[in-house]
Amino acid sequence: MPWHLLWRNVLGHPLRSLLTIGSVAVAVFLICVLHAVTSGLTRTLSAAASNRLLVQSAVSLFVDLPMSYQQKIAAVPGIAAICKWQWFGGRYEQDKGGFFAQFGVDADTFGPSYPEMTVTSGSYADFARERTGCIVGNDLAQKYGWQVGQTVPIGGTIFQRTDGRPWEFTIRGIYDSNSPAFDEQSLFFHYDYLRESVEQGGAVGPEGVGLYMLRVADGADPLAVQQAVDAMFENGPQRVQTTTEAEFNRQFISMLGDVPALLQMVGSAVLFAIFFAVLNTMIMAGRERTRDLGVLKALGFRDAVAMQLLVGEAVLVCGLGAVLGLGLGLLVEAPFAAITASFLPGFGFETNTLLLGGAIALGVGLASGLVPGLRAKRLTTVAALREVA
Amino acid sequence: MAVAIRLQGATKIYQRAGESLRVLDELDLTMEAGTFYALMGPSGSGKTTLLNLVGGLDHADAGHVWIGDDDLTGLDGNALAQWRAENVGFVFQGFNLLPVLTARENVELPLLLTPLSRRQRREQAERVLQLVGLGDRMDHKPRELSGGQEQRVAIARAIATDPQMLLADEPTGDLDRTTANQVLELLQRLNRELGKTILMVTHDPEAAGYADQVIHLDKGKLGRIDDNRAKAGKER
Repeated sequence: MPWHLLWRNVLGHPLRSLLTIGSVAVAVFLICVLHAVTSGLTRTLSAAASNRLLVQSAVSLFVDLPMSYQQKIAAVPGIAAICKWQWFGGRYEQDKGGFFAQFGVDADTFGPSYPEMTVTSGSYADFARERTGCIVGNDLAQKYGWQVGQTVPIGGTIFQRTDGRPWEFTIRGIYDSNSPAFDEQSLFFHYDYLRESVEQGGAVGPEGVGLYMLRVADGADPLAVQQAVDAMFENGPQRVQTTTEAEFNRQFISMLGDVPALLQMVGSAVLFAIFFAVLNTMIMAGRERTRDLGVLKALGFRDAVAMQLLVGEAVLVCGLGAVLGLGLGLLVEAPFAAITASFLPGFGFETNTLLLGGAIALGVGLASGLVPGLRAKRLTTVAALREVA
Repeated sequence: MAVAIRLQGATKIYQRAGESLRVLDELDLTMEAGTFYALMGPSGSGKTTLLNLVGGLDHADAGHVWIGDDDLTGLDGNALAQWRAENVGFVFQGFNLLPVLTARENVELPLLLTPLSRRQRREQAERVLQLVGLGDRMDHKPRELSGGQEQRVAIARAIATDPQMLLADEPTGDLDRTTANQVLELLQRLNRELGKTILMVTHDPEAAGYADQVIHLDKGKLGRIDDNRAKAGKER
């Protein structure tokens, strides 16, 4: 088998080979990124805590719940702690084009309910003590070069101060997370600071609470708690919907549509596009090499060798494309993960993503080489030599 | 002298536009080993078809083709491929060198089907390229060679495995007179010095003059056979 012909044929048309390899590389890269996003979503959902429930308005996530609900919900048997979560939606004054999430929470129950979060710089107790204090994720602190003790000015959009100045939060802790379900790109401050400012006329904004997080007591049945909370407000004044953290995350993601299905559709389209591109290249290559293949057959090489050469060339081109595409993917993995950390903390190239990329390239190579390969195998020596005579 | 090629009732029929075209019609022919034959005839007389049958590139629809003691009629595709690799070398009108390979690599191609080691293949390729006068062009690709040099590389490739029979289809068709004569002299030398049996299809009477015998075909049937050796003897 003249294996060196594979390389020589690929190198014989450098521009065409380069473009095909580039196309495969881009396709493999895209498919792997899409797969990593889908896997990231799955990882994020599966990493959600089973002992945390979230209570939101049954109407919509964007409708606030009355503050009076907190005391009633807290009385439901099986609840160890309750914590407000209020979306703030502010803009960092030094980077108004940038985005990160800010939430008002109950400091006394927030920290103990999220053991995956660890304050590594400063202290959670300092945050809990100081009314204008806040804690920020490590990634966020690194992004803006924040230090403990620094004051962060955040311009309100939903909650605006009446004096027109930005809100000021003092960093009292920087946290790390060991779970993909809890990102390091958020800022948490005291809900009470927000509420008191509104009540005292220092700020304007909607009344109520966006979400209540419930930490289920050890040994209690989360489903029973869930049903009890929903039943409590069945007849108003405002109905609620209680879900597990995983279900809440799933619903949040599905507000964008069926993301995994959408990504799969895009991935399939990319796959088909690249398959036809490589197939077209290989059919052209097969036709151009008819004479060469006829010569090889005349010299005594078997019909199968003609097929193996074309299939091998397609696999080689796709393999090089896969190596390039996967290499590119690994290169951008870290920066991409940093960008998506706030809404997709589970993003990353796992072994199965890399294997998928390799398998797709191999499959495209085999399939696109087989079509001209079978033709070359069937072509008689006389016909192959006559075709160019 | 031993018989190299024997055709008995060899018939080849092509189907063209719903009609049967009898390209070779029950041809009986015997050729001796170590002889240089030229095959002449008008277009469509069956010259190339005969060459293809003798070279094991195609099957006869009827009759038999023996090369030495081998009856090619019953061999399947893979068996014919192996037979070709061991017994015959081809020289084509268009040279048919692989453009992505150097002269040496082109010559090494048929040697890949032998048990020779990489080094032995390389040495054998260099030996035959020296033989055809291209020792200084081994690492050149076909596009860097003249037509005559390309054809000499093709001849080197044909004799690389040392087959007893060379089949040449219009080997000088694309060459100018001077270069054509050089190539024909080379073929003649291979016949006389190495004892190769050569069957060469040609339209060119001057090229046919280099052969020992000239076989004329007409409409798939054997015409006359001219013996150039006898002619040369009379002229002397």
